[in-house]
Amino acid sequence: MGTIFFELSLTLYFAGFLLSVADIIRKKHDLDRAIFLLSLAGFGLHIVYLLFRYLKSGQAPVFSMHEANSFFAWSILLISLCINFYYKARFLNFGIILSFAFMFVSALFPRGIPYIKPELKSLWIDIHAIMAVFGIALFSIAFVFSLLYLIQERAVKAKKFGGLEKILPSLEILDKINYRLILWGFPIYTFALVVGIIKYFILLGFDIDPKQLWSVLTWCVYLLIFYLRVKGDWRKKRAAYLTIFGFFLLIFGFFGINLLTESFHSHHEYYSNWIKS
Amino acid sequence: MNIIVIGLNHKTAPVQIREKLAFQSEDTIRKALKQLIQLEGINETVIFSTCNRVEIYIYSDNADKDSIVNRVKNFLSDFHHIEIRDFENYLYIYKNKETVEHLFKVTSSLDSMILGEPQITGQVKDSYEIALSERTTSLILNHLMNRALFTAKRVRNETRIGENPVSVSYAAVGLIKKVFDELSRKTVLLVGAGEMAELALKHLIGIGINNIYVINRTYERAKELAKDFNGVALPFDNLKELLTKVDIVICSTGAPNYVITFQMIKEIMPLRKYKPLFFIDISVPRNIDPSINEIDNVYLYNIDDLQDVVDSNLLERKKESDKALKIVKEETEKFMQWLSSLQSVPLIISIRNKAEEVRQQELEKFKARFKELSPEVLNSVDYLTQSIINKIMHSPTVALKNNCDNKEILIFAARRLFGIDTEEE
Repeated sequence: MGTIFFELSLTLYFAGFLLSVADIIRKKHDLDRAIFLLSLAGFGLHIVYLLFRYLKSGQAPVFSMHEANSFFAWSILLISLCINFYYKARFLNFGIILSFAFMFVSALFPRGIPYIKPELKSLWIDIHAIMAVFGIALFSIAFVFSLLYLIQERAVKAKKFGGLEKILPSLEILDKINYRLILWGFPIYTFALVVGIIKYFILLGFDIDPKQLWSVLTWCVYLLIFYLRVKGDWRKKRAAYLTIFGFFLLIFGFFGINLLTESFHSHHEYYSNWIKS
Repeated sequence: MNIIVIGLNHKTAPVQIREKLAFQSEDTIRKALKQLIQLEGINETVIFSTCNRVEIYIYSDNADKDSIVNRVKNFLSDFHHIEIRDFENYLYIYKNKETVEHLFKVTSSLDSMILGEPQITGQVKDSYEIALSERTTSLILNHLMNRALFTAKRVRNETRIGENPVSVSYAAVGLIKKVFDELSRKTVLLVGAGEMAELALKHLIGIGINNIYVINRTYERAKELAKDFNGVALPFDNLKELLTKVDIVICSTGAPNYVITFQMIKEIMPLRKYKPLFFIDISVPRNIDPSINEIDNVYLYNIDDLQDVVDSNLLERKKESDKALKIVKEETEKFMQWLSSLQSVPLIISIRNKAEEVRQQELEKFKARFKELSPEVLNSVDYLTQSIINKIMHSPTVALKNNCDNKEILIFAARRLFGIDTEEE
């Protein structure tokens, strides 16, 4: 039960995805309204699904691959809707495409409630996980905006506007949104990290795993981006490159380390636990 | 009946001829309209005159097109004091469907020098309004002009022919919008003067930029310009300092060398914390070192770059013009259908058919009600009703058959009065 909401919102995301692709290919904006409504409806049903899961399991719905991807997709869409609302930047086209992609991935994984050792179950772990995923979503969109910025910047410099550049907003807006995403993302991610580390030490003592090391390293890169941004050096291309670099570290931390090691954080472990249970 | 256009445009005639035949002011057009409408065989007329074309649209219920054309040629010759043979060869003359299609194309800017430029529609509208106020148009040309404006609107809405800017100064504005947002907070600096620079500046003001600095080698000139644009004039020595705080620079001086150099920009960029700086260099020879485009957050477009943008946009417009032509063809068909509904013979037939239809219906009812009546009585009823209809129809038929002034209006009215309506919006 409850997965009906997942299927429904997946379907709506898919419809939004198709319209968005059509919009982008035709370099037009005449489907925007329909895309907005589809996304909003999908988003609402998705909330119901997430709440349903939370109430059923009593733990944040972000621990299995299915849950993490679905929550990530939801976060991406939430952020995209906010951007659309505050900046009228017409980012929803890209946002819904990303959301659908992660929803699709999420749909490929088993939907059962993941098993978490009772001694690890706590509100703080929930907060840690939710904020980490949400922070990563903010950074991911910052990454997309950095890419769009570079595409647009290159077009303006090269004086050629053939493709995507036609429907992109101004460099100033692209950069401003990027800045805001980092401004929100950094404290959220930092908070998640701090909560995670403290909780880890309390539970397991001083025993560092590679994922943590990697997260701290990634955090340092974002600290640098954050610092440069707040300092107000407007050499935005640098910020854009750095944001892209940071994102790759992040993604590697999220997926790569899990594949290479079998640590406390590994989803692999959750997964096998779930199978056993 | 005839709808005729006699005209010349930038494709058929050189500017020397066009300027001689142009109707320069509204008053001249009014005067010309008054004279034209007096000519024999001209029932309605509209004069359309821009720097690229002069066209006279005429509706005549006279079938003899050539004599009307000759009268108009004579009129042009008299009015503009120019020999007919001097301009005759540059003229194009279209009739009926060709005229309609031509006007629709012109109004939709498919015949313009710059494909898809938006001004032409407004110019057609203005010319029509002048003719309207001089009362030189009536049913036919009124409908024609309204359909032309409607067609132009459709073309604009349904194709992307007007989407990408194709004038250099508009192209500049488009590029600035690719870099900056919130233009009302941006500052522009005009270095030097020149028509094109002023035009670009005007467009920028049009999109909301209102902080303007002007500098010039001659301070007096800068002050004049600043006054025109509500800006601040400063002596030329302030150039470097201004570059640290403005966002957009339009440069157009007569200097033979680079006024803004690579070194200069390299030095000021850190001072402005690498805030983006957009240069438009309209001067020839160029006044801004092209290599500054390589500096981070500095964007430079010179006149050729802008022209390239314009050219590629024009290419896009050409692709869209096929779609637009289809719309023009469609609308032309619709207009011709409307026109043919104004022919008298088919109308008389349909009025009679309608009357006959009513008569038959009523007869049937009558027969059903009085079944006991003898065939003789029925025959006389039949005869009676027929003769009533003939009597009533006599004078409308004669009126519609005879030639008279403004016959289309009569036909139009008859259609309404007898309820013979084909399609109509």
